[in-house]
Amino acid sequence: MGRSSKDKRDIYYRLAKEEGWRARSAFKLLQLDHEFNLFTGVNRAVDLCAAPGSWSQVLSREEKVEKGEGGEEVKIVAVDLQAMAPLPGVTQIQGDITKVSTAQEIIRHFEGQPADLVVCDGAPDVTGLHDVDEYIQAQLLLAALNITTHVLKPGGTFVAKIFRGKDVTLLYSQLKIFFSGVTCAKPRSSRNSSIEAFVVCQNYQPPEGYVPNMSNPLLDHSYDVDFNQLEGPNRVIVPFLACGDLSAFDSDRTYPLQLDAGKQYQYTPPTQPPIHPPYQQACHLRKNNLLSREDAPTDCPNQSRDQDPSADNICLNDSHCLRS
Amino acid sequence: MCVCLSVSKITQKASVLNLSPVVPGPSGLTPSTESTVYDLVVFGGKAVRLVRLHVDQQHLEARGPLVELQDWALDVRWLSGDGPPLLCVALAHNRALLLDANTRTPLFQRSCVEGCLLYSTLLLVHQSWADTVLVGGTVFNQLVLWKPGEEGGGSEHKAPVQRRLLGHSGVIFSVSYLQDEGCLASASDDRSVRVWGVGALGGPGGSCGDPDPVCLRVLYGHQARVFSVRLAPGQVFSAGEDGACLVWDGGRVIRTLKGHRAGGVRALAVRVRVWRVEANDDRMGKVEETAEKLTDLKFSGDGVPKVVCPADEDDSDWSQSGFVVCTDLGSVYRYRNGLWGLVWRGPSDFQSYCVMETVSVRVKSSWVQICAVGNLSGSVFVFPVSHPQSGILLNAGSGKIHSIIWQKDEGGGFLLASGAEGRVHRWCVQVTSGESCHLVLSALPLPGFLLPLCVKRWLTGAVRVRSGPQGALWVCGDRRGSLLLFQEKDESNTDDEEKERMEVTKGGLTLEPTSVLFGVHGKQGVTAVTACAGLFYSTGRDGCVRVFRVRQTKPDHRENKNSILEPETTEEEEEEEEEEGMMDNLDEGTFKQERLLAVPCGGGHRSWTLWPSLKGVWPGYGALVFIKQGALMASQPPGPTRTGTTGWTLRDGVHGRGVGCVRRLGRVGPPEGLWEVAVTGGEDTSVAVLAVRPDSGAVRVLAVLTDHISSVRTLMAVTRPGGGADGDGTPSLSAVLVSAGGRAQMQCYRLLIGWDRQRAAPSCQVIQVARHRLDEQWERKRDRHKMVKMDPETRQVQGLSNRNSSGWTRRPVCRCFSVSFFSCCRLFSICETKHRIDLLWESFHHQRCVLSVATSERPRRLCVSSRVLLLFSASTDGQVSVWDLPPPSSSQTPPLPCLSFPAHQSGVNALAVWTEEDEGGCLVTVASGGDDGQLTVSVMRVQFPHEASRGTSSTSEPLNRIQVRLRSQARVPLAHAAPLTALQTVRPGLLVSTSSDQRVCLWRVGGTGVVHRGACTGVKHTVCGPEPDHLRVWFWSVGGICEAQKLH
Ligand SMILES: C[S@@+](CC[C@H](N)C(=O)[O-])C[C@H]1O[C@@H](n2cnc3c(N)ncnc32)[C@H](O)[C@@H]1O
Repeated sequence: MGRSSKDKRDIYYRLAKEEGWRARSAFKLLQLDHEFNLFTGVNRAVDLCAAPGSWSQVLSREEKVEKGEGGEEVKIVAVDLQAMAPLPGVTQIQGDITKVSTAQEIIRHFEGQPADLVVCDGAPDVTGLHDVDEYIQAQLLLAALNITTHVLKPGGTFVAKIFRGKDVTLLYSQLKIFFSGVTCAKPRSSRNSSIEAFVVCQNYQPPEGYVPNMSNPLLDHSYDVDFNQLEGPNRVIVPFLACGDLSAFDSDRTYPLQLDAGKQYQYTPPTQPPIHPPYQQACHLRKNNLLSREDAPTDCPNQSRDQDPSADNICLNDSHCLRS
Repeated sequence: MCVCLSVSKITQKASVLNLSPVVPGPSGLTPSTESTVYDLVVFGGKAVRLVRLHVDQQHLEARGPLVELQDWALDVRWLSGDGPPLLCVALAHNRALLLDANTRTPLFQRSCVEGCLLYSTLLLVHQSWADTVLVGGTVFNQLVLWKPGEEGGGSEHKAPVQRRLLGHSGVIFSVSYLQDEGCLASASDDRSVRVWGVGALGGPGGSCGDPDPVCLRVLYGHQARVFSVRLAPGQVFSAGEDGACLVWDGGRVIRTLKGHRAGGVRALAVRVRVWRVEANDDRMGKVEETAEKLTDLKFSGDGVPKVVCPADEDDSDWSQSGFVVCTDLGSVYRYRNGLWGLVWRGPSDFQSYCVMETVSVRVKSSWVQICAVGNLSGSVFVFPVSHPQSGILLNAGSGKIHSIIWQKDEGGGFLLASGAEGRVHRWCVQVTSGESCHLVLSALPLPGFLLPLCVKRWLTGAVRVRSGPQGALWVCGDRRGSLLLFQEKDESNTDDEEKERMEVTKGGLTLEPTSVLFGVHGKQGVTAVTACAGLFYSTGRDGCVRVFRVRQTKPDHRENKNSILEPETTEEEEEEEEEEGMMDNLDEGTFKQERLLAVPCGGGHRSWTLWPSLKGVWPGYGALVFIKQGALMASQPPGPTRTGTTGWTLRDGVHGRGVGCVRRLGRVGPPEGLWEVAVTGGEDTSVAVLAVRPDSGAVRVLAVLTDHISSVRTLMAVTRPGGGADGDGTPSLSAVLVSAGGRAQMQCYRLLIGWDRQRAAPSCQVIQVARHRLDEQWERKRDRHKMVKMDPETRQVQGLSNRNSSGWTRRPVCRCFSVSFFSCCRLFSICETKHRIDLLWESFHHQRCVLSVATSERPRRLCVSSRVLLLFSASTDGQVSVWDLPPPSSSQTPPLPCLSFPAHQSGVNALAVWTEEDEGGCLVTVASGGDDGQLTVSVMRVQFPHEASRGTSSTSEPLNRIQVRLRSQARVPLAHAAPLTALQTVRPGLLVSTSSDQRVCLWRVGGTGVVHRGACTGVKHTVCGPEPDHLRVWFWSVGGICEAQKLH
């Protein structure tokens, strides 16, 4: 497989590189903004689960435009487990958003001056076990909501990735406690074949007398077992909105490298490869043939057929998140 | 029902079974040596359940209801103290729970100060809650140790972290502890395993081990994430996403075990030094014993060994019995009793090239090994290994001998030498013992065979069967992958004629095949042909075993495992009678697919010979001798002193990976025990025909088809209406099945499913009809890496069977409509008699990825023209297009849809259509389910050409065009909380929808719109097949295992 093969398979991956975004997810936020005007009047924003940082890129670009009008101080705090290459005007925190200490650190940055917008693109590093992925994703969303209740100004907006699986109605119901407008949105750059979507929660209005409490969150991960069994109108389902131009590229489709006749295709390297991905050391060892191996080869050779020949490519030149 | 689902979910995730020593049950049942009872706790997701295992009765009994927890359980253990049975549960938010197993109520709960998500947990328990130590692998790559039962503070008080182990750079998926060595091991996303010296953990008082734990080893050896790790004395076992299980000793990999077909290995269990049981993504368990070693037999003759053949004269093991080797210098050496000896040195014309084959012949009461060596110039030297001086030289034309094949016979054997120009020379070789123990060979020439014309025109396998008055039959395989049938006249009873024939033979008479199955095994060729119990089996380099039989004079291909050729059509009754008898044999022959022997040969060997386990070389084991890089290697049997590698599969998954599609065919069997028959297609590229007993849930795999080269995405089946019935009325099924998927490949089969009365089980015959691949031409193109590969995947196929006025035709021309990821709709015709799939037209109208298709049939009364159907297609932009099907003969220009309308905001995942007659035309209802969770019901009015012309003739539309108008559209915007995945009509007006929100909903569509009629939950991503007679729907869950459910 050549290095351009992914460009063929994934049009948004390719466009991201060509436009200088660190990940294809940038288009998701841009398409969400297109529909919901997320950035109007936003000066302070939190980007949870930000690495490698394309959403932070979008935020800092959009807010600079806004600053010209409002003249207020711009503040963007980006949080991720992974290290992230620095971005001008973006404060970085490396930490786990489900951890109290990380949450407290974020909250400190906004004491006195709450945030206008909280975004969270958090996703587990896909384990391949669907339920586990769905579960962890839901936990990230709830952790992000918890942080949001501490830092978001009333009337503010919260945008988060959501996996539309079994527990999705529970998540909706919890979000509706805090926001008057909750919409499930699917940007066209997010594949139809993926269960990923985004909740756009507008007009933050915590219940009367609600005191955010980090150590004992109201948003308990427990729920009534029968909750999902409810039928019809009792179930909490939020409206759905597909975002982005219908004329936008179809993320499920393959496109030829030569997009229009006038412009010759040229390979663009990834904008910002991830720094210190978990597999870095292992890849380094493999490249130098230093992985421990049994001296005598074993078993039938044809059984290795299923292994991904492109695994090597994934290593260091493609960003972690570009994979999703 | 719910309970059942949860259990199956648990098994799917291969959650760890925590086996505790006997715990007395509430009934006061105490274990005795006679009846052993274990109480097991099974957990997965947010649930825990108790199960009692009665060892003697081999019976599992569920005890009490499912215990629902508030959080995910990552580990559950029994406390060993006296008193009521207690369970310690570790939860995903770094929390622990003490559960009373009898009352199923939580007694204590404690969180850790480090309140974060865990990916893995290990509970080290002793007698009491206070002794418990929890090791958690956190989301931020650390291992934390803490004591949930620590004194002081209630459940409000958070327990402090006692130890932290830092070092991993990825999340931790698995933790293991070995008390004897005070070691902890962790497996991580960073592809490493770390072994930590932690000292004594847990036990009385709940020790947290050394105050300063150290990392003893970092083990890098996996090619991807490491999912599981287990410690054993002196050894570490790890398994991961790369599908390998590594055995480590002192920081070094000492064994690599690979046995799983596909996907990563998820779980590992080790019983010290003896067994290792794994369960993984391909949903099977394997037991592997540690490894077999190879021995170099140190060839000491001149030249380099090229061919090895068996030559064992008695039934001793291989080191005493022998084998012979032919070298590049044309010499034959024998290995016996650990020594090499020269048997025969060939003259100069044998020196550059030779082929060799041996056969054992019984002469009087002993076995004699006869060896035949062929050379480049058409000579074959045949000699007894023990008496090479008695050898005879035979002539087989003037060109290269490509191969030599022996077929055993009374007192000798048939020798086949495949020479130049596709000529196979044959002799009947007889061995007799002359005076003074000499052996005398005689070779009687027989008419040769002439192989069909092709480039690699030589024989690679042959088997002879005597059959009836017509004489002997030879079933042969050639290097081109074809199977050939030769028939020789049985004239052994008339000596005169035989002599006469010999004369003719000298004149060059040859037999031509009476039947040919061309290229059955692909271009790589056939490797062997054998006969057993009336059936023939051929193996090929394509990795397939094919089963077939000979009927009358034509090989008739029938198959149960991999692929098939079409049987010749003869009178139907006869065919079916024969089938009855055949099934039994097949079952024994091919259903038990066991791996008998695996040798770590490492590939690259040229010639090999095998003693199967039946020969008793090593009781229960086979031995393999092979030549690799000029050296002779032999596999050793596993034994008490040596270690051996044999793995066996405890239970194979139906599909190695996820099931991508399901189609129900119908049911077979007697009324009191009906079996539902369905076909599933999977990511593992195979298609399986399954029978399910709805009442017991028993599943039987009737056939597995492995012709796809990429994952199978969609299945389409056209069943014979009304179903067939056996003589006594037991229903049977005949269906045309089309499977399609990756690399734009389509396969078409005919399935004949019947009822085997003897075995009281369903039986299945598979006949391959045709195959088609759009990108076959593309693959032959040069510079293809520069182009975009068109059409990577077929998404959905819908069948349109042609019914003519006489009803269903036995071999219909079936058409199907397919859509693909590359925004294309295509119409194909499948002709069963011609074995062809032809592309009729294609349209790129959608411009986007097309996700679903459907077809509608016009009401019968209106079948006036040859055009029978309307087609529907829908894409990622929410548009539905309606196509008028042109007659197959129409021009090549792709038609435009007669109507396109928006139905959804984003992708349309499913379509369901029905038609009702309406005044002067018909009403077609299209229900669509979208990624937006919406159910849309669009009703359109269809007018046919002749009616249109009769009516409003002022229309500008061409008169031969059908008119379709959208009449109404009803929407249920939030039909599901997540994308709709499938829709089925139970009957017109009644719909079933499924979604990834794991609910199944029933809808009534009528004049008042769409009404929700009911729902059931907990069905994971289903595709359903309706059962119209009763209001009953079977759901086939896409998750490896099928399950059937009743909706009403
Ligand atoms: C899809 S990526 C985000 C991409 C990002 N929005 C961008 O545009 O570049 C998901 C990120 O979630 C992060 N993540 C996962 N679990 C986390 C946790 N518990 N705390 C913080 N970040 C987490 C991962 O490290 C990963 O970088």
